[in-house]
Amino acid sequence: MKSAQISRTAVALQLVAVLLAVVPHVTWLPLWVLALLLASTGSRLMIHSGRWPFPHWLVKAVLVAAASIGLILSFNHRAGPESMVALLIVALSLKLLEVYHRRDAFVVLFVCLFVAATSFLFDESFWMALYILAVTLLILAALNSIQQGAGAGRYSTNLKTAAKLLLPAVPFMLVLFFLFPRLDPLWSVRVQGSGATTGLSDELSPGDIESLAQSSALAFRATFEHDEAPPPEQRYWRALVMSEFDGRRWTRPDPATRQRLRPEKMTAEGAVLEYSVVMEPSGRPWLVALDQPLAPAPGMALSAVRTLQLDAPLERRRQYELRSSPAYRLQPLLTAAEQRHYLQLPRGGNLQSRALARQLQQQAGGDPQALIRALMQRFNRSYVYTLEPGRLGRDSVDAFLFDTQQGYCEHFASATAFVLRSAGIPARVVTGYQGGEWNPYERYIQVRQYDAHAWVEAWLPGQGWRRLDPTAAVAPERIRMSAGDFFDTDQTRFGRAATGLDIAWLRTLSQRYDAFNFAWHRWVLNYQGEQSGLLEDWLGGSDTWRLVLAWLLPTGVVFGLVAWWQLRPRRVRHPDPLERQLQALQQALQRLGWGREPAETVSAWLTRLADEWPSMRAEMQRLAWLDEQQRYAGECSHDVRGEMLQLCRRLRQQLPRKRSV
Amino acid sequence: MADTLRKEVDQALASLSTVLLGKTSSVRLAMTCLLAEGHLLIEDLPGMGKTTLAHALARVLGVDDKRIQFTSDMLPADITGVSIFDAAESRFRFHPGPVFTQLLLADEINRATPKTQSALLEAMEEGQVSVDGERYALPEPFFVIATQNPSSQYGTFPLPESQLDRFLMRISLGYPAPEVERQLLAGGGTRNQARQLEQQLPPERLAAAQAACAEVHASSSLIAYVQRLLQHTRDAAGFSYGVSPRGGLALLRCARCWAWLAGRDHVVPEDVQAVLGPVVGHRIRSADDLSGQEGDRLVARLLAEVDVLGH
Repeated sequence: MKSAQISRTAVALQLVAVLLAVVPHVTWLPLWVLALLLASTGSRLMIHSGRWPFPHWLVKAVLVAAASIGLILSFNHRAGPESMVALLIVALSLKLLEVYHRRDAFVVLFVCLFVAATSFLFDESFWMALYILAVTLLILAALNSIQQGAGAGRYSTNLKTAAKLLLPAVPFMLVLFFLFPRLDPLWSVRVQGSGATTGLSDELSPGDIESLAQSSALAFRATFEHDEAPPPEQRYWRALVMSEFDGRRWTRPDPATRQRLRPEKMTAEGAVLEYSVVMEPSGRPWLVALDQPLAPAPGMALSAVRTLQLDAPLERRRQYELRSSPAYRLQPLLTAAEQRHYLQLPRGGNLQSRALARQLQQQAGGDPQALIRALMQRFNRSYVYTLEPGRLGRDSVDAFLFDTQQGYCEHFASATAFVLRSAGIPARVVTGYQGGEWNPYERYIQVRQYDAHAWVEAWLPGQGWRRLDPTAAVAPERIRMSAGDFFDTDQTRFGRAATGLDIAWLRTLSQRYDAFNFAWHRWVLNYQGEQSGLLEDWLGGSDTWRLVLAWLLPTGVVFGLVAWWQLRPRRVRHPDPLERQLQALQQALQRLGWGREPAETVSAWLTRLADEWPSMRAEMQRLAWLDEQQRYAGECSHDVRGEMLQLCRRLRQQLPRKRSV
Repeated sequence: MADTLRKEVDQALASLSTVLLGKTSSVRLAMTCLLAEGHLLIEDLPGMGKTTLAHALARVLGVDDKRIQFTSDMLPADITGVSIFDAAESRFRFHPGPVFTQLLLADEINRATPKTQSALLEAMEEGQVSVDGERYALPEPFFVIATQNPSSQYGTFPLPESQLDRFLMRISLGYPAPEVERQLLAGGGTRNQARQLEQQLPPERLAAAQAACAEVHASSSLIAYVQRLLQHTRDAAGFSYGVSPRGGLALLRCARCWAWLAGRDHVVPEDVQAVLGPVVGHRIRSADDLSGQEGDRLVARLLAEVDVLGH
């Protein structure tokens, strides 16, 4: 039987490779699949050592049937990457039971390579890439050890060979990375429940954003053209606009209503910011844009209220480029229907708040701006901005405005919008993110979930929609600093550090780490954005023949190098450092035309040269004498060798660079 | 002690050179062969001084020498001797042949038939002679200088490889240099001069010198070089067969003696190279040559192709 030729080393490498390739999937794999894998690994060991026989065909048939049923039950007919990967792993486990021939061992390892590659469906971080590289190395080492048959050497030898084999693959990897077209639909398999962190929800009720404030998960990162990040108080990242209120929750209007709203007109006034956003998967179809975007990026739509929308929920990290204008005039005219829509309030409830609105309206004498100012002053005077506002009753606006008087941004936004609408001023609630932390290493802004924010947009005749942030009136520091800093400095009020990163060096480390991750996502994973332009820059165009050449040339170069490496005349590296020095000296002198003849001993050769190089005569003669002593007269002391090494070096230093004599 | 011994040997060499004008290196090789306790084959045309060399050596060593002129009708008994019935004593009595001597000059060995040749070669190898079932030991030291005419001459029976192997060295004297020859012509016959040489290295001193030679140090690097030389004769293209391990031992032994003669207590590759031709030349044969005359060319190739350091 041929399996006898597979050495113990090979079996050990193979099994370790199989196990390590499956490790990234451990978190979601059904337990029975893991058990099956461990059991078949164990039996492979037992079979190889001759303690167990190969399983009977009946056993195998039962296992196959059971595993198939198990897969169907576990994944419940759901087709998705998980079930396919699980199928692959089950097949791998079963194949381990019947490694009769060398070929079977190869099949196991080839499947192993596939399993390793599937890890990227679930995690494409740099660390995973590094891990899979290591696993690939191990699989190659296992393949190599099987090829070696009974003579497979030590583990380190096999690993070294595998590394040498991987080396020529690097240029191919680079060529593929730069030239291979990114086929989005093929690769972007939607993976359920993975990666997407819960961010802002489609509706806003008290406590929603508050819960986000505890999450330091990354929401998105943004880089600015010329590194011109706007000041924190201008960093309002708009995500959703909510204009329907039911007394407790703010929601977006239903699609039918939405259609009745005209797309809003925006005129930029002033400088335009160019920036690029890398949005983390959110599981939602909306994206963020700095208040206010000029136009949507390709692949996304601009809603009537000028928020960015995707066709499908964002399941993978996405990079897009935008231009925004911080100063703008938005929709200076509203139709009657639109005015009604933005003034809509539930019939009853929150009576105290409505009364307050009427009172403010009278005091302001019909001037909306005075009313807003009065409201903000009221907030500033006696309200408290806190992460722990306590529970609110049924009339949440009343409870907040008159009872608790403490709240988080959503409370202030919701109450402000309610009061404005009661006073006849069209208003709506906007959610998104505010602020973000500047990373000085990669020069970008990172926005985390605790930067989630809610504010208000009020429509003023002739001015259109104006951003109004009641939080800024209550706790202006919150807007000026990043949320993380704000909560850090305010520990007494919140009772704890929201970020946990209050040690300076830890914070620096964390920023550097984040900068590294960002670079990985931006330059490696999201490379396709740069691809087309880069190719044209490099190749001077993207004609077919240029692409073919770009493929063929590196391929030719790599194969040429490999061939040269294989066929090159080998000069065996001498194990003795002294011999190596002598060889180097010989080569140096050979280049100058003073090579040693094969029949010449070192001493004869150096003695011959000593007459030609008077400046080095003494050293050459000394070296000649020493060489004869240590090589032929049994005079091999440490001192002699040390002196010879020195002489060799000194002679080489004295040699002229070029052949001039 | 060792120095006085070497001085004596040097003196012996010097007086030999006065007889064999301009043949210093051949004389040295002959002495090397003697020190290495091997036999010497001189291949040359008649009249080049082979016999003179043998006579001179015999005189210097103070040993008795005999000369056998080989002819094609010679029988083994002409060399080893015969048992003749002695009527007076009613038994066979052994009459030793010319081989019973300390220094034997076997002239034109390749003119004898192979049977006769092998009688001599057996004596050389075993150091004894068997006649009619009786063994007779040869005297000590026993040193054979055989000469042979180039095999291209008519009426020769070339020595087979196995018998060439019995000779430690094969040298050739060659024509003298012009001024040496003029000196030679002016000075008259050199063979008589040889007769007048005095004993300078008695057999016990020779034995001591031989023992001293065997003590010369051969380092592992040197042995590796010798081995590479041997290996090359076996591996490289153009050699019809390589040097035997016996040839290798012979090479190292000669190199030791050469080194000792040069006043060194260790062998260097130059020693090996100096004796390589004489020791190995008759033990290798080129693949495309049947005459056995290509040895020197092959030796030159060996020197050029085998690196001293093994690089």
